[in-house]
Amino acid sequence: MTKKTRYFMGGSAAILVAGLGTGLVAYYGGGFPSLSASRSGPSELSYVPADSAVVAFANVREVMDSQLRQRLKIALPDENGQKEFQEQTGIDIERDIDYVVAAMTTPGADGYREPNGLVVARGRFNTTQLESLVREHGGVVEEYKGKRLVKATDIDGHHSVDMTESGDVTRKAHTIILAFLEPGLVAIGSEQAIKSSIDAQLTAHSITSNNDMMELIADIDAGNNAWAVGRFDVLTQNAHLPSEIASKLPAIKTFSAMTHIDGGINGTLRAETRDDQSAENLRQVFQGLMALGRMQNDPKATALLNSLQLSGSGHTVKLSFSVPSELLDMIPIKKGGEGHLHELPRELHDLRAPEAPKPPTPPVPPTPDR
Amino acid sequence: MERPIPKAPGFFASALRVFDFSVGEMLWSRRTIFMALVVGAPVVISVVMRLLDALGAPIFRVNGMTMAGPAIFGLMIWVFFLRFTVPVLGVFYGTSLIADEVEDKTITYLFTRPIPKGSVLVGKYLAYLACTFFVVLPSVVIVYLCIVPLRGSLGGSFLDLLKDLAMLTVGLAAYGAVFAFIGARFKRPLLIGLFFIFGWEPTALAFPGYLKNFTVAYYVQAMVPHAMPNDSVMSLIQGIFRETPSLGQSLISLAVILGLFLWAAAVSVERKEYILEQ
Repeated sequence: MTKKTRYFMGGSAAILVAGLGTGLVAYYGGGFPSLSASRSGPSELSYVPADSAVVAFANVREVMDSQLRQRLKIALPDENGQKEFQEQTGIDIERDIDYVVAAMTTPGADGYREPNGLVVARGRFNTTQLESLVREHGGVVEEYKGKRLVKATDIDGHHSVDMTESGDVTRKAHTIILAFLEPGLVAIGSEQAIKSSIDAQLTAHSITSNNDMMELIADIDAGNNAWAVGRFDVLTQNAHLPSEIASKLPAIKTFSAMTHIDGGINGTLRAETRDDQSAENLRQVFQGLMALGRMQNDPKATALLNSLQLSGSGHTVKLSFSVPSELLDMIPIKKGGEGHLHELPRELHDLRAPEAPKPPTPPVPPTPDR
Repeated sequence: MERPIPKAPGFFASALRVFDFSVGEMLWSRRTIFMALVVGAPVVISVVMRLLDALGAPIFRVNGMTMAGPAIFGLMIWVFFLRFTVPVLGVFYGTSLIADEVEDKTITYLFTRPIPKGSVLVGKYLAYLACTFFVVLPSVVIVYLCIVPLRGSLGGSFLDLLKDLAMLTVGLAAYGAVFAFIGARFKRPLLIGLFFIFGWEPTALAFPGYLKNFTVAYYVQAMVPHAMPNDSVMSLIQGIFRETPSLGQSLISLAVILGLFLWAAAVSVERKEYILEQ
């Protein structure tokens, strides 16, 4: 074998080893975010387990900063819940949360596991305050694969038994976990959901490796500040619906919903059915409902229905809607308000602070008499 | 004093000696240009796709849907490597193992050596495996590194990559053995080989029944971890009548094909008298 041949084979082997090594490290180490720069969705999707049936995203910051929210805030000024939440947790929803990713995992093959909810939030959090809050409510701190978990159950030792006519029954504890995944990244969910989430990130078996779901996520148009995608068939299978109802449900395989909230609300609902016939049936159902709505002769309903647009071909059914700010003006103000939303400022630049009272004019010095 | 005649090397030692000088000869032959083009095309395409995606071109949108990197990688494995590169390299290299020596009239020098004739073919077959593995497999790895991270994860598709590499290795070995036999046994082996991969195999796979059992593609395609693309009428028909043997059945069948055809090729070389055209 000549030296040239040896060099060639050595070079080829080096490429092969480097590629396999990279893949292996990615497989065990949770992927390479820098190499996956152009992938769809936020990077926090790496914490969503691969078998999740529904994945949702909301850009909380954008929604909070939207004109619609500003107008609603003026219309509904007394938001005590938000204040209480801030006092308890130190989190100002308006400013401290950037975005959240939520997911619902599917039950296990054993059929006993309940669907688990998971919320991953990116923002600025006072971890000490959050941890002490959970501790105050009987929470315990533990570690799982290097991540700090604060665990709380909904029942304590004194109330762990239900008294029934047939005798005492031990109540099943539901554990909620707050996990500090990274600086500025927390997750809330059931114990199983949180542990699956950490495992998914560590083993790179997250939703990013689920090509079906990633295709749905990739199809979300840029600029939407809230969206959700999911497998409808999995949801209905796990809902344990009576067969009479289950058979009546439309044969939808996957769904996606996306919306952009600013002055108004624009959005699209898209469903992928099992076959063309099911899609056609679904389109007809929507058309029937829209026709029924128009028969009401209600100007608000008509305006809303006029913003709906039904389209799609083949397996796809698409319903687009656009609720302009003018339509939202028709919503009456319920609390402490007089009149309608349209009496409120429409654009951000209209939201001017009330003019400050003019300072008192200094007394004019008396002019000496000549 | 008479020098003792050294003992002739055994079959495998002879095969390894033939492999040693054949691998360089095969790698730096004119066929390598063809192999570089065949294997380089997917690499260039994947690099261009990656660049276009970085520039924001909507190249991954098909029928209004955006394809993820792993799906594109699967498509490239099917279209470029499985349906084209593996059988074509098998034909061009496999059929030339003995035919080239006959054509160059150098087979006499090999056959006058005190080694079994069959070991010449086996040694050249090993050289073919080395050449193709060291060219095809790195190409697959580069495509994987370029394409999969686009809306996908390297870690998530790593097991698929391993399966792809194993499947391509087995495919190259099986096709090589079949075409080594055709090259050793028949005249105009290239024509027969091209008819086999572009005529017989697609036709047999498109019809229901047992005919597909007499192809290599049937067993190799059963091991692909990606969905078969319906990119032509033929593949659509193949998809309709597609039957997938189990992994074990595929591996056993391919091992039988490899062993049987390599043995038959070696026996052909041992028994056949090659007449060199003057």
